[in-house]
Amino acid sequence: MIEVKDVSKTFGAVRALDGVAFTARDGQITGLLGPNGAGKTTLLRTLVGLLQRDSGSIAVDGVDPAAEPLRVRQNIGLLTDQFGLYERLSTREYLTYFGELNGMAKADIRSRIAEVAALLGMDDILARRSKGFSQGQRIKVALARTLLHRPRHLLLDEPSRGLDVMSTRALRRALEALRADGCCVIMATHVMQEVVHLCDDVVVIAKGRTVAQGTPAQLCERTGISNLEDAFVSLVGEEGIVA
Amino acid sequence: MKSKLLIVLAKEWKDALRDKRAMALLALFVVMYPLMIGFMLNRIISRSTTPEREGIELTVVGAERAPTLMTMFKQKNINVHASEPLTEDATGALLRTRKTVGLLKIDAAFSENYAAMRPARVELWFDSAVDNGHKLDEVEDVLRKYGTAVASARLLAHGVSPVTLMPVAVQRYDTGTSASRSGVLIGAMMGSFFVPVFMFCLSTAVDGTAGERERRSLEVLMAQPVRAAQLIGGKILCGTALAAVGFGLELMFAHGILKWLPLEEIGMSWRLTVADLGLVYLTTLPLCLFAAAFETALAMNAKSFREAQSTVSLAVMVPIIPAVIVPTLDLQTAAWMYDVPVLSQITLLRELAKGQALGLLPYVQAFATSLVAGLACYAFAARRLGSEKYVLSV
Repeated sequence: MIEVKDVSKTFGAVRALDGVAFTARDGQITGLLGPNGAGKTTLLRTLVGLLQRDSGSIAVDGVDPAAEPLRVRQNIGLLTDQFGLYERLSTREYLTYFGELNGMAKADIRSRIAEVAALLGMDDILARRSKGFSQGQRIKVALARTLLHRPRHLLLDEPSRGLDVMSTRALRRALEALRADGCCVIMATHVMQEVVHLCDDVVVIAKGRTVAQGTPAQLCERTGISNLEDAFVSLVGEEGIVA
Repeated sequence: MKSKLLIVLAKEWKDALRDKRAMALLALFVVMYPLMIGFMLNRIISRSTTPEREGIELTVVGAERAPTLMTMFKQKNINVHASEPLTEDATGALLRTRKTVGLLKIDAAFSENYAAMRPARVELWFDSAVDNGHKLDEVEDVLRKYGTAVASARLLAHGVSPVTLMPVAVQRYDTGTSASRSGVLIGAMMGSFFVPVFMFCLSTAVDGTAGERERRSLEVLMAQPVRAAQLIGGKILCGTALAAVGFGLELMFAHGILKWLPLEEIGMSWRLTVADLGLVYLTTLPLCLFAAAFETALAMNAKSFREAQSTVSLAVMVPIIPAVIVPTLDLQTAAWMYDVPVLSQITLLRELAKGQALGLLPYVQAFATSLVAGLACYAFAARRLGSEKYVLSV
């Protein structure tokens, strides 16, 4: 469970986070919606303790990332919006490296790689070095890295971008399996269809503030618009007028 | 469970060994410097061991007109080759072949003028574009002496002592030996032994920081449950290991070459035992750490891979300066020299090569100061990597 209360963060004159607050529960996929520049990346970086908040409180299973970043990271899988692989390492070596960094034992890493590869359908690229991988293959490797150490919390920044239909389905199955396992998944995305299909809870943020939280149906109800995309635009727009 | 630092080190090491370009560069530096130094020393040796005057060849037109002069040439080990009169072009062509230092043309009117005590003309043709060293000077010296001898004889015939023509008598003494002349050069060469240390870890330092940042893999790495100090420490240790391996190979290779060269011929020596070499190597290990940490601390702040490469290559000049400049200043070896990283290792190597017994202190000084400098760079890099400002720039 991730609880965020009134978190704000300023960089010079820019207020990147301005009192964002929400709760992401275990066994749920929480969608994080917001226009570009809403503060999603800053929020995710604050959650893993890479950035320090100015005020407010964060608890990841009761642990404050500002105080104990390593303990929090141990229990978080982070997929950033931009990431690179190591061209001179094979997928298996890459995954082993991150498994070791997360304190996994050799045998555990081996069996876990097999599991994750089966889950994401990427057996064919395990032995290959990542030079020349397609965008879809890259994101699968990164996702596999995110899931490898069985984190109880997942922070995914647009995990489905660049994936073809088959891979998107594989990803969806993987996320549903994690939800069934009781993981707490936060997924930032711009694809409304995905939100409707997958998310149990949606947090809409704009200008560093939480605009609304609820199930997709509740959001539609609140705005009185049946289409989630239009509801989202309306919610963000409201905020725009307020600001 | 393995230490996180060792995990990072193992991964970086594997990554570095697979970088073919970096490895080729490393191999080049291992071989290049010892070979270069060996080649230069070999030239110095062969130059100083060939006899000073190997015989000077001089072509003379009209040699029969000045037999005394020819005899004097012969006494000075100058071989005279008589020749038919040559045109100006033919003279030029002959000089360009470099088979002769110069061409002496003795005028047809020489004997007549000589007998009449008028200045008897001789022409000395030479090509100043050809470096003959002191050979031409010697020819001219003989000509001068010949003139003086003739003048003395004439004065004597008039009852004047030829000594009146020599108000000053110059006696020349040259205390320079070929060894002291080449000392500066040799000092600079010793310095250049340590330059590759900074090259061996360069590509890893740049690739592991600015490279990761440019490939966008750094943020993910920083979000792992690993302390910044361990993360950057593993990377720095990888550079250190590469530098240490590279320098070890270079030192062994150089040792082989210097043992084989007859350095005694130029008053130099390489009296290092394997144990000495081991100690020098040991004191260079913290220098490897310093090189890797220094370059990593610089490269991590560059905005791009290319910027990092150019910044680091330039900045590396700073620690290398003492390696190249100080030996040319011809300073006496002093205790403070063992306190300056790079310079300390050079001084150590130079003194050992001379066969000096040093005692333990210089080794400790060289080891400790390099270690402190290396750890300072490491601490800076770790602090920087853990700072929020750095996260934002990733």
